[in-house]
Amino acid sequence: MSVVAWRVVILIVLLGAWEGLTRVKAVSRTPGLYWLDPFFISRPSAILERFVYLNSDQVRLTLWEMALSTVQSTLWGFVVGVSTGFVAGLVLGRNERLARVFEPFIVAFNSLPRIALVPLITMIFGFGLVAKIVLAWTIVFFIVFFNTFQGARSVDADLIHSARFLGAGERQVMTTVIVPSALAWTFASLTPSISFALIGVVVGEFLGGESGGGLGYLIIQSLGTLNAADMMVAMISLGLIGIVMALGIRQLEARLLRWRPEHRTRR
Amino acid sequence: MSRRPRIAVRHLSKTFRDGGREVVAVRDVSFEIVDQEFVAVVGPSGCGKSTILNMIGGLATPSSGVVEVDGRAVAGVPPGVGYVFQKDTVFPWRTVARNIALGLEYRGVRGEAQRRRVQEAIRLAGLDGFEDAFPATLSGGMRQRVALMRTLVVEPEILLMDEPFGALDTHTKLNLHAELLALWEARHQTVVFVTHDLSEAITLADRIVVMSRRPGRIKLVYDVQLPRPRDVIALRETAEYARQYSEVWHVLGQEFGPEGASAAPSGTSPSGGAGGAGARTRSIEP
Repeated sequence: MSVVAWRVVILIVLLGAWEGLTRVKAVSRTPGLYWLDPFFISRPSAILERFVYLNSDQVRLTLWEMALSTVQSTLWGFVVGVSTGFVAGLVLGRNERLARVFEPFIVAFNSLPRIALVPLITMIFGFGLVAKIVLAWTIVFFIVFFNTFQGARSVDADLIHSARFLGAGERQVMTTVIVPSALAWTFASLTPSISFALIGVVVGEFLGGESGGGLGYLIIQSLGTLNAADMMVAMISLGLIGIVMALGIRQLEARLLRWRPEHRTRR
Repeated sequence: MSRRPRIAVRHLSKTFRDGGREVVAVRDVSFEIVDQEFVAVVGPSGCGKSTILNMIGGLATPSSGVVEVDGRAVAGVPPGVGYVFQKDTVFPWRTVARNIALGLEYRGVRGEAQRRRVQEAIRLAGLDGFEDAFPATLSGGMRQRVALMRTLVVEPEILLMDEPFGALDTHTKLNLHAELLALWEARHQTVVFVTHDLSEAITLADRIVVMSRRPGRIKLVYDVQLPRPRDVIALRETAEYARQYSEVWHVLGQEFGPEGASAAPSGTSPSGGAGGAGARTRSIEP
């Protein structure tokens, strides 16, 4: 049997068991209890039902609109975080002195659990898009920064020398040797970055999602109404969003790093 | 015939610090290289020959003494000098054609002029059809060809080469010797070629500077008297080549292996072990 067939079988078995066990009453003296309690984990059919309902025009904000809001905040946080992290990594990576000056500050800020910042960020930036972007940025920036920093530091000195012998000035060394060399390292940080951007945004939405909706807001709202099905809808949607964005990055990486042997053989 | 000197090395010494220990890599080396001359610097590994080349190229600063290129003391990479490294320094993220175009790009040569010169270099190197290939898909010999053409395309008058073919197999090496000589016959660059391979030095150079083991000093400066243009294969079967090889080896052989007991060239028996004395009777490398 092919790998895909196995996957389909496993999925069907899991979903079937989930559906079945939340419908079959347990043979026990406590009446009304199921093998698995749908109150806590819902069941596939109910989730599908809610999925359709949340996309209908009977709701104020459709699931699609909430998902778009989450994606928008995530992409903004990602873009802002990656670009600033990349530039900072390049600058400090090529300037030993500056790197030593900033090191303790960077380490201190990075060891702070970012979730602790959420109330403060909300206080400063309110409940809108900006707060979520800032939160995603505080995580993504450091991931990209540390990778680019390492990449910029580990540029092969002989590559720089050979560029100089070919007549490169400082700027040309930067654009033709250091940036492309460091990019390979930066790319390695993009997949975790997009996941963490999504985490940052969802956490931001937990607290201040109402104005823009967002899937994090749907989850918190469902907690208020003890609606497990809606939570499942939000989680499945977040999972799908995560997969699509990771695939997008992989495509981008395969294009931009097509000179690397591992991308060559994969195709 | 007196040609103007291009490179002058005077009382050059280089000391490294290795932990608390001072290591003298090069001690009081002086020589001069005139225009259009092809000089090979030969010596056992660790004799400081690459260090000398790096000082000529401005990649290292002398501890004492001076290096002059065209009458000016070297400080930083001197203009008009090309450098070919032993290590693979082809940019892996650029195709063959874009690697060769680098020097032209840096100098602002664009468009049709750039394309024409890159095409010409690709043709000369026999890399036709590989213009758009990335270095990861090429063999070591082809990558070194790209590195060589990338350096030559901007037409340096002085060429510094640090064991450029050191990592290649014998056959590829011979091909590249022939190609390098053909390219050199066309332009007569002033070349400093560092190697530990004596046959390579004799095949290519007009003059050979033989270095001692660390601390590196000059043991011998030898004028190679083989007519040009040279056929790198046929050359090796001539009696003249054999005679000159053994003359230099007589001196150089003492520098290989512990206490001068030469263990260096392949195809020699380990018997004897009397260092330089043994070298005289030894059969010559293929």
